[in-house]
Amino acid sequence: MQNTPPRSRIEIDRLRKIFLAEGREVVAVDDASFRIDDGEFVALLGPSGCGKSTILNMVATLIAPNGGAIRVDDAPVVPGRPIAQVGYVFQKDTLFPWRTVEGNIGYALELAGVPTGERKTRVAEAIHQAGLDGFDRFYPASLSGGMRQRVSLMRTLIARPEILLMDEPFGALDTHTKLDMHSVLLSLWERERQTVLFVTHDLGEALTLADRIILMSARPGRVKADFKVDFPRPRDAVKLRETPQYAELFSKVWHSLGEEFAKGRSA
Amino acid sequence: MTLFWQIAIGLGALAIWEWGWALHDKVPWLVPDILDPYFVSKPSEIYRQFLRMGCLVSSQGDWTLGTPGAFEKCIGRSENNLWIATYFTLKNTLWGFATGVSSGFVLGLLLGRSDRLSEIFYPYITAFNSIPRIALAPIIILAFGIGDASKIVTAWLVVVFLVFFNTFEGARAVDRDHINAARLLGAGEWQVTRTVIVPSTMAWLFASLTPAVSFSLIGVIVGEFIGAEHGIGRMIIEAEARGEAAGMMVAVFVLMIVGVILAAGVRRIQAYLLRWRPASTMAT
Repeated sequence: MQNTPPRSRIEIDRLRKIFLAEGREVVAVDDASFRIDDGEFVALLGPSGCGKSTILNMVATLIAPNGGAIRVDDAPVVPGRPIAQVGYVFQKDTLFPWRTVEGNIGYALELAGVPTGERKTRVAEAIHQAGLDGFDRFYPASLSGGMRQRVSLMRTLIARPEILLMDEPFGALDTHTKLDMHSVLLSLWERERQTVLFVTHDLGEALTLADRIILMSARPGRVKADFKVDFPRPRDAVKLRETPQYAELFSKVWHSLGEEFAKGRSA
Repeated sequence: MTLFWQIAIGLGALAIWEWGWALHDKVPWLVPDILDPYFVSKPSEIYRQFLRMGCLVSSQGDWTLGTPGAFEKCIGRSENNLWIATYFTLKNTLWGFATGVSSGFVLGLLLGRSDRLSEIFYPYITAFNSIPRIALAPIIILAFGIGDASKIVTAWLVVVFLVFFNTFEGARAVDRDHINAARLLGAGEWQVTRTVIVPSTMAWLFASLTPAVSFSLIGVIVGEFIGAEHGIGRMIIEAEARGEAAGMMVAVFVLMIVGVILAAGVRRIQAYLLRWRPASTMAT
């Protein structure tokens, strides 16, 4: 173990975001602050509408905050100017339908001008890692939802981003496919140990994947609590759910989360 | 079963066309005047006229293909026989199609992706679009002469608006999330245009190709009606002047075949280019 203090990769300081909805100002994120260190897998958990995706999109430079600051690797984030070492996985299917599985996964390498030979090798490797062998030449339209999300994941990971932002990437999948994707993601992540900020409203998912859970309150979104998830790694996405430690932490966070769901309903 | 009915209806229509007029004197209320061979000729007569116009049969009534040199001699006798006319009409149609599609696509893309340009040009486009394009054909003949250029310009004018509006809609409908995804994967402005906006808009362009090729043919024929040296349109006008219904019908049938072949060709290209779409991937 090293003694140097961990390096901070993402820092959010008193972040604020106000949306205009039908002429009225709605505070989506209010005074949110947290920090994520190198190699940490952090789940941002909260009821829907709590502003967790908004925070993620501000880190991703997709939307501009109304106040506060975001720093990635000690550099201030400028809206509209994507950061090279940051990768983003959408909730919605954003694969390019006119490109094959190969073409989608290799996209970032094409942009970067990676020579064809190396690109082919890396794409083939990524296709294999995602368990998509034999589907190289398929178009997204003929893939299942789970397979499309695997392609999405690899399309982002192939550029080897050190920081990974994920916006409920498995939110639209059925329970089984979701567990499958957890295993895929865990095995990929446990090899590379990227710094991950993973937005979800699914507590089970957060516990399965993350080292830390940042719990958001219902709107206006604030950081309500920070839980450490210290299950040993490598984790088994399915077996983990049967351990007493999992059940214990689940009920602890569930209680806190439940209050926010109730608030979200009455608001 | 469908095929049976299709053939039955086709043969039935041909039979009425061929022999219907014979019944006119006996049962006038049953046979409309339009069946008069003076207007619509008869299938058998049209077939004979086709053989003559196509130089397949000489003026003496012999098959030209049996006698060496007879076909060439017959072709050489007229500068607007069926084959030359078809060649010119087809050539001009393809040129009008190609120029109309490419310029319509570029214009649609430019205006579709720039709010400022589309705002500035909006009134002009609306105004031009409300002119029936065909009404401009005489002016174009006047300006470009009776050669090929005027036919290509007429066809271009008919095609360019169609393609422009389709492309324009398509360029506006590019999924924002696709653009964002590309940006976050490291694409610069030009790369976003090349790898997201153009391919995504292409889908809309392709949808307009089949009507575009038919429109192009219409443009060329109208141009040929008004003034041309060659072309099927001119053949129709000439046959009309001589009161030759069979000659007009031959030209119309050749046009029909040209139209069917063009549309089928474009559809094949379209199906290949849009193979990534759900419907076409399922078909394979």
